[in-house]
Amino acid sequence: MRELTDRHWDAVVIGTGMGGGVAGRALAEAGLSVLFVEKGRAGWRREANGTEAATDPVARGVRGLWPDPVTLRMGGREREVFAPLGMGVGGSSVFYAATLERPEPHDLDPSNAVPHPVGGWPVRYAAMAPWFDAAERMFAVRGGADPLSAVACPELGAAVVSDADRAMMAHLAGNGMHPYALHAALRDVAGCASCLGRKCPRPCKMDGRSAGVEPALATGRAAMLDRCDVTRLVMDGNRVAGIEAVRDGARVTLRAARVVLAAGALNSPLLLRRSACEGWADGVANRSGMVGRNLMFHLNETFAVWPKGAERGDGPSKAVGFRDLYAVDGRRMGMVQAMGIDAGRGEIAHYMGQRIAGTWAARLPGARRVVQAGAVLAHGAMGRAKLFVGLLEDMPDAGNRVFEDRGRPGRIVVEYRVADEAQVRRRMFRRAIRSAFAGRRMAFVNRGAEPNLGHPCGTVRMGDDPAVAPLDAGCRAHGIENLWCVDAGVFPTSMGVNPSLTIAANALRVVEGMRHG
Amino acid sequence: MDELAVVTGAGGGLGRALSVVLARQGVRVVGLGRSAGALEETAGLIGERFVAMPCDVADAAAVRAAFVEVDRIGAVTILVNNAAVHPRHDILDETAESFAATVDVNLGGTVACTVAALGRMVATGTGRIVNVGTFADVAPLPASAAYAVSKGAQRIFTRTLVADLHDRFPGIVVNDWMPGMLDTGMGVSDGIEPEVAAEWGAALALWRDASLTGTVWERDREVLSPRAVAERLRDRLTGRRRVARRITT
Repeated sequence: MRELTDRHWDAVVIGTGMGGGVAGRALAEAGLSVLFVEKGRAGWRREANGTEAATDPVARGVRGLWPDPVTLRMGGREREVFAPLGMGVGGSSVFYAATLERPEPHDLDPSNAVPHPVGGWPVRYAAMAPWFDAAERMFAVRGGADPLSAVACPELGAAVVSDADRAMMAHLAGNGMHPYALHAALRDVAGCASCLGRKCPRPCKMDGRSAGVEPALATGRAAMLDRCDVTRLVMDGNRVAGIEAVRDGARVTLRAARVVLAAGALNSPLLLRRSACEGWADGVANRSGMVGRNLMFHLNETFAVWPKGAERGDGPSKAVGFRDLYAVDGRRMGMVQAMGIDAGRGEIAHYMGQRIAGTWAARLPGARRVVQAGAVLAHGAMGRAKLFVGLLEDMPDAGNRVFEDRGRPGRIVVEYRVADEAQVRRRMFRRAIRSAFAGRRMAFVNRGAEPNLGHPCGTVRMGDDPAVAPLDAGCRAHGIENLWCVDAGVFPTSMGVNPSLTIAANALRVVEGMRHG
Repeated sequence: MDELAVVTGAGGGLGRALSVVLARQGVRVVGLGRSAGALEETAGLIGERFVAMPCDVADAAAVRAAFVEVDRIGAVTILVNNAAVHPRHDILDETAESFAATVDVNLGGTVACTVAALGRMVATGTGRIVNVGTFADVAPLPASAAYAVSKGAQRIFTRTLVADLHDRFPGIVVNDWMPGMLDTGMGVSDGIEPEVAAEWGAALALWRDASLTGTVWERDREVLSPRAVAERLRDRLTGRRRVARRITT
């Protein structure tokens, strides 16, 4: 370990998820020496577990999951929830569904038709386009072209679409939608088990580990320090002079010419705030006061669709998506996509239970049993349902934030309020989704607003004005020479698509700027 | 696939019979046992597919060293934790030390060999572990305290393996097999011939279906776990029936 900790690196990358993995790979491939610092354990490459694990912090840690629950303060209630957060090589991305969808130009650019919440990103779509191409190539993304899109995805491979998905698409097309095969980073190697929601034990699913860290290590210029918990960035004026960390109970200080922060949108701001010192009184890179603020998630509108005839197929629907509802009446909504999950009896019972929770019916004696029996009968009558989700764009609000629990170091607290305007858009979105699936029995799984805790962003945003944004347009901290951030924290807005492709593309762009800027 | 099995207690009884059947099916077998002479007798029945590895499984350091030796032969793909002792002691004659000595073999040996084998199996994410067990913990017989406790604990150990591994390594298949009362040195004279039971055990050890993890088998039959009333009712409503599987040899 000494040879790793004593060395002066060209770059140290903190966090090995989508952003860190891709940035580290690009840096190593450009000839720089790179040290990945990962809080979790390297584990074993053949592990195949998902995010459903015990609540024990050690058991979660060995599975590559964030050990502790997140304290979620929302709607006047406080609860502890286990977010789908990774802590291991590949970060959360090893558990993702590998849906790598491009945002729309109006997600990044100012638009009259669909007004942008912050007047546009500091990097325009045209400047990002080559990096989206590069990321799609790097992740071997396959899927269908979106019939509604004006921009091409030249690197996109051909998708394999099941007959059932084709039938479901035909039904949607009959309702005036323009469905296409979702863009997925599955290489489909022999024996592919479509590891959506769990670690892929083969070199098949492309994620921060398989498409980032592993190729980086293969260059021979990168190394990995796992089980290494970064506690503080040590500043020397306008430079990060060192990175303090703890490994196996021992303190280490790492040194690098460049520091790339990629601990994720929930943890990167915590590290910056924790590193407060003379000259950076409110936290490193936090002269704007915005570090940890403007936290956004997507609001998931999850729904079950009971397929008919050929739509049933053998397995769950995983390839269907459409963007007809991306914007409705000039208001920002988002993508609708299959989740790759079939809902059986248990899930239906869960959903029905949720529907009565908080109503008078829940107080009736035996209500739960009645619901469960009903679910069994519904299951018998209607068979398995396919789960879909509409990802509703969330808007930046400085009051929505993430911070560290003062009494419990390392514990994440999220304070989040669902804006009234979001509730209005939710109703519009749900109505539009119902029409899109007209002719099929469908039901929403969630009643209240459901922030997707796997899609946090915005907490270390980029912007040209240092007064309102911690990072500049190249994702370098305003006023700091050698600190960049490359996770979803940098997003000024949450967009209407899954964040992963944009994290990867942006990391490639940032590294390019880092080398030439 | 090149199978390499480690069978403990291979110097006699069921362990010897299992080694014979596995070797006959093309598996290379490393036999662990305390007596070098007894292992040589097993080797004499089998030939070059069998490697005698004298080792007291109660000695954790010796087990670690043995598995390093196994590495020279190949990558272990199957572990059959068969070694056990069943000394008859009235509890009034038992000492804490004599009790612990039995636990060291029956539970400690299983733990030491399993941990060593798993350390190798995680590299490929595949492997097969069969723990040879008994129902001695359910209704303990007199003069068998240490045996009943340690074999019961071994069954718990199997379940803890499932808890720790099944989601991470679904390709490492772990279960319990109760061969029944055998006509061996440890068993009863009117019991099952170990050669007959070994056919079942070897077939089970070569069966890699991930759904076997956590199951319990008695002789050649799956023992279904008891279901709660609500679960049975649901099975009725949904028309689902659980069928106990059989080992075909």
